[in-house]
Parts: sequence; structure tokens; C-alpha cells
Amino acid sequence: MPWRIAEGGTLTVPAPGISFRPGELETHPDGTGNLLGSRCRACGAHFFPIREACAGCLSDDLETVRFSTRGVLYTFSIVRQSVPAFEVPYALGYVDFPEKVRIMGQISGCDFDDIKIGMDMELVLEPFGTDDEGNELTGYRFRPVEADND
Amino acid sequence: MTDVHVVGVGMTRFGKHPDSDAADLGAEALHGAVADAGIDPRLIEAAYCGHVFQGMVTGQRILAQVGLAGLPLANVENACSSGATAIREASLAIRAGENDVVIAIGTEHLTSKFSGALTPDPSDPEAAVGATMPGVYAMRARRYMEEFGMTREQLALIPVKNKRNAAQNPLAHFRKEITVEDVLASRPIADPLRLHDCSPVTDGAAAVIVMSDKAAKKYANGRGIRLAASTLRTGSVDVEPTSMTYEPLTWKTAKEAYEKAGIGPEDVDFAEVHDCFSIAEVLRVEGLGLFEQGQYPWAVERGEADINGRLPINPSGGLIGKGHPLGGTGVAQVVELVRQLRGEAGSRQIEGARIGVAHCRGGKAVGIEGAACTVQILVR
Repeated sequence: MPWRIAEGGTLTVPAPGISFRPGELETHPDGTGNLLGSRCRACGAHFFPIREACAGCLSDDLETVRFSTRGVLYTFSIVRQSVPAFEVPYALGYVDFPEKVRIMGQISGCDFDDIKIGMDMELVLEPFGTDDEGNELTGYRFRPVEADND
Repeated sequence: MTDVHVVGVGMTRFGKHPDSDAADLGAEALHGAVADAGIDPRLIEAAYCGHVFQGMVTGQRILAQVGLAGLPLANVENACSSGATAIREASLAIRAGENDVVIAIGTEHLTSKFSGALTPDPSDPEAAVGATMPGVYAMRARRYMEEFGMTREQLALIPVKNKRNAAQNPLAHFRKEITVEDVLASRPIADPLRLHDCSPVTDGAAAVIVMSDKAAKKYANGRGIRLAASTLRTGSVDVEPTSMTYEPLTWKTAKEAYEKAGIGPEDVDFAEVHDCFSIAEVLRVEGLGLFEQGQYPWAVERGEADINGRLPINPSGGLIGKGHPLGGTGVAQVVELVRQLRGEAGSRQIEGARIGVAHCRGGKAVGIEGAACTVQILVR
């Protein structure tokens, strides 16, 4: 059972543990989480991951922001051959977020055959391997919003 | 400023070489280029060596093996554009007037370093969530099919064409023709891509000798092919998401090369492009301006990209048919261009070819369109 992002509702899952990449994924004690990136205070452009300067206007006045947790699936694939760290097959996709950033992630919570370009997706936190000391890590995946209503 | 002329070319057979290493292969390619140029190897003044996974100072190991140690040499890593970048460095040394005779070598013993799907560097945020190179190109293929209506069968025509060309290339990794049915029946790698859509894990090396006007006049006996442009760019950070079915990076790199060479895409007679995956060939030729965006699969269907077609693409067999030893790839493309332009390509010869383009594009890092892109234009 994956952890769910609570949207002003009741928390139904345990609080996630250590983020698999704290610079990119922030995990909150209430079980929610956000992908992190930069926003240029000069021109408003957003970037994932965090950058030191804006590629649009070259300003270095950037702030770290939490991105929205919902976006639209731009494209996807079912990966059937990968490196040993990842068990195949898995679905991989790019999701476009309202801040105009496109972020790659695995897709969970639905059958491969039900994945379609243009689907509304949401961020979910899920167990994502272990660190060198064997601690469970929390990562992110995307899942179709429609799955909520089943 | 002097022009740059490609005077000698050499390459090993591409394939699996369990009994050699990257330095052995590089040395064989170097010997081939020197013999082809017909020069005393002591005329070589400097060397550049492109490779990706071969470790420190592979270029020096090659020179030591052939008795040429002591030359100025730089090892070049730019992912799949490493070899092409080495050629560019060599051409810059000539144009700058620093050297008159320079060798560029590209080598890779990939079978001993790696198997399966290539991934971005493990530190990359996308590698951390399971990105593989086939996965990324599969996603681009899916999007292209959605936007332009390309069918899976149309996409299969690209490996069919490239392996048909490779069957005519004695140095190619694959020498066997395949059918659309073979492509569709091959093992799925990352949907919709299958094994025959992917370039193989290949060992191999290639080398080219470039010369200034002065040296070419003295040593080449008119056999030199002019390297009219050799351009390099790196991908920009996207300020907002852009289309993954078009390649501004390829176009920017090509546009600069066309301008330097004083030609346009309409003047190109044939091209060797970076078909690491079937879909990649589509994206490359459209990015180069050689075919209209969204049209290439239909042009392939009509035979326009065949060796006897309107604009042959990857007559050598490309990365899919000839093989893809990462560092060796960009240099081997120029070897093919030279052989075609000299009329020495045997049964895969393109009639009357005068202008050829080579395009490489390699590497992946989060948030940028592509890591390194090169375009070289050779003119007879």
C-alpha cells in the first residue's frame, strides 16, 4: 500500500521515512511530500532540479519552491530492460506540472494498458529501495488521478 | 585561414572483440588511417582520442603501442559524441595554424565495460528513478506516434533499411538483413521499442587524419576530402517543457555547420546520423532539416532514404546496423562519408555523392535537451 498525498483530508498511511534524494523530494511528517525545484525571482521561470542560476535570464536570485502535486502525462514507456537496481517491468513517464516543469518518474497504481498520454497524474510517495546502511527510503511515483474514484 | 582536409581513414571491424582492448582497436584503426593516407606516421603532429568508458589515458596507450608516444594528445569524453568531438578538436588545431597533420581516434571496448541498457550517470535525478536510454527514446517514439500518426510498422522500416545497408558493409557488426516481422517479433526493450530498434553493444575503433591546405597539397595527391564544417553544441536548460519530437539542439548545431560550409540542407546528398534507436533517426533527419517534421516515416516508406533513394540516410548501416562503439561512432561516420565521397564504398556506393553530413548526439542529463551534439560536413 503506497503512502498517499493527503489533500486537506485525513491521513490514512504512515509517515514516510528518509527521502531517497532529499534535494529533490521533501517528505513531510504527515505523509505528504513535494518535489523541490527553483523559481527565478526575476523572471518567474521554474526549474527541476534546483539550479544556481536561471537559464532564461541568468539571474542568480532563485528561491527553492515546492511544486504542485498534480500534472499531466506527456509521454510514457514500459521499461522491460534496466539496471539491476530496478525490477522490470516498470512504467516510466514524464509529467508536465502547472509551474511549467516536466519531471520524470515511474508510474504506479494502474495497469500498464490503462496508461494514456494526457492523463491527469498525481504525486505519491512510495518505498524506494534502501540506503547503504539498509534503511528504507521513500521515493516518488506518479499515479493516475482517476484511480482515486474507483 | 586554411581549410581542413580528411586525408586518411581507417577503422576496425565493428562487433565483439573478446581478445582485444580499446587500445588494440585504436592502434589498428590508426594503422589503417596511416596506410590509407600513405604517409610516414612521423608526420603526425598531434592526436585526439575520443572514448567514454575506457578509463584514463586510453589515447596514450594507443600511441605507446604504435611507437608514437610523445605527441601532444588529449582524451575527449562527450558521451556518444566523443569521437566526433575529437575530430572537431583536430580540425580546430589545423584551422588555428598550430598543426598541419593531426589524427583523431575514437575507440570503445564496450562489451567488457557494460551490457544491457545504457543509463544516464547514476548521480542524475532521472537515473535515480529508473531512466534508461531506450526508455527515454521509447517515450519520444510514443509521443511521435501520438502526434504524427506514425505506425509501429513504419518505425520498423528504419532498422530494416539500416541492416540491409549493413549487410553490404564488410566492417559492420550485423551482416544479416531483417524484415518488419523480425523487428516486431524481437524482444521488447522499452515499449514501443524492441531489440531490433536498438543499436547493439559493440567494440570497435576508427581513425581519421586531417591536414592543412599546405600538408594536403604535399602529401594527399588530391585524395583529400574537405571538412567544410565541424560544429559542436551542448543542450540548453529548458525554461519550460519543449517538444520531445523535435530537436532544436540538432538544428542549431546543423545551422551553424551549414552556414560555415556555405550550403543549406537542400544541398546535402546523403547523411550518417545518430540512430542509436530507430526513432532517433527520425528525430535526427528532421532536426537536421533534411526532411519535414512529421514526414520522415512516410519518406522511408517511399524508399527516399535508401542507398538509391533521393537522400540516402545511414548507408553504412548506421549505429543500428554497423554497431555503436560509443567513442568510435562519430569517427566511423566520417570514415563512411570519406569512402562514399571518394567512390570507394563498393556495393553500397551512392552514385554521384558530393556533399555528406555526419551527425552525432549523445548523453542525457536532467532538464537539458541533449548533452553534446556535433555536425560535420564533408565536401568532395
